[in-house]
Amino acid sequence: MKEIWAVIRRNKFAQTKKALDDIGYGAMSIHSVWGRGKQGGFAMSETEAEMPSYATAAPNLVPTSSKYATEGATITKPLVYIPKRMIVMVVPDEAVDKIVDTIISVNRTGSAGDGKIFIMPVEESITIRTGEKTL
Amino acid sequence: MKLVRAFIRPEKEQEVVFALEGAGFPAVTKMSVFGRGKQKGVKIGDVVYDELPKVLLLMVVKDEDVDKVVDVIKTRAYTGNFGDGKIFISPVEKAITVRTGEVEQ
Repeated sequence: MKEIWAVIRRNKFAQTKKALDDIGYGAMSIHSVWGRGKQGGFAMSETEAEMPSYATAAPNLVPTSSKYATEGATITKPLVYIPKRMIVMVVPDEAVDKIVDTIISVNRTGSAGDGKIFIMPVEESITIRTGEKTL
Repeated sequence: MKLVRAFIRPEKEQEVVFALEGAGFPAVTKMSVFGRGKQKGVKIGDVVYDELPKVLLLMVVKDEDVDKVVDVIKTRAYTGNFGDGKIFISPVEKAITVRTGEVEQ
């Protein structure tokens, strides 16, 4: 059993859900999260028009100095997060590749900010209604 | 790779995130959560608050960076009182970037 975490764009969420339903793995938990990636809060959309207003300021932000990690320093810039959806699914081992491919095919736009998928091991899963230890 | 889950005080979030960025780890996912710890919440007068607001920071980092990340969170989220939070570390098998399809083990 594996746990799949996929952090994706909000506007691709409905399509992703539909695509996962179609391949037969519709069970998921959905979280509304805020986050930033390697770019440190630089939002990129497929088109300029879709860029949220706060994102246009983001490229001008100066990266935080490494001094800040060790000693105190005054930070004047705002903390920028980008709204994302996070899908959490627990699936059988053999379904992982299929699900990852599906999520990628729906969510890839080519711009930074398409998201990340993480795969983690799960030891046990229990259905509360029946007490069964199978998925 | 490891997943670092840190439950911290909401008012410490900004400080922790900037310190992590300064240490070279800008990527973080944040969730607002409610919870309680070993102390079963806080009791103020007769009122017990057992659903305390916290911020959950999720980060996936390389094995060798775990200690550094934990150290930064530990120093920056510290106040010395109950409720400073917890850090949990669990294994991650693969991380995939959607844009490039690149897989990191």
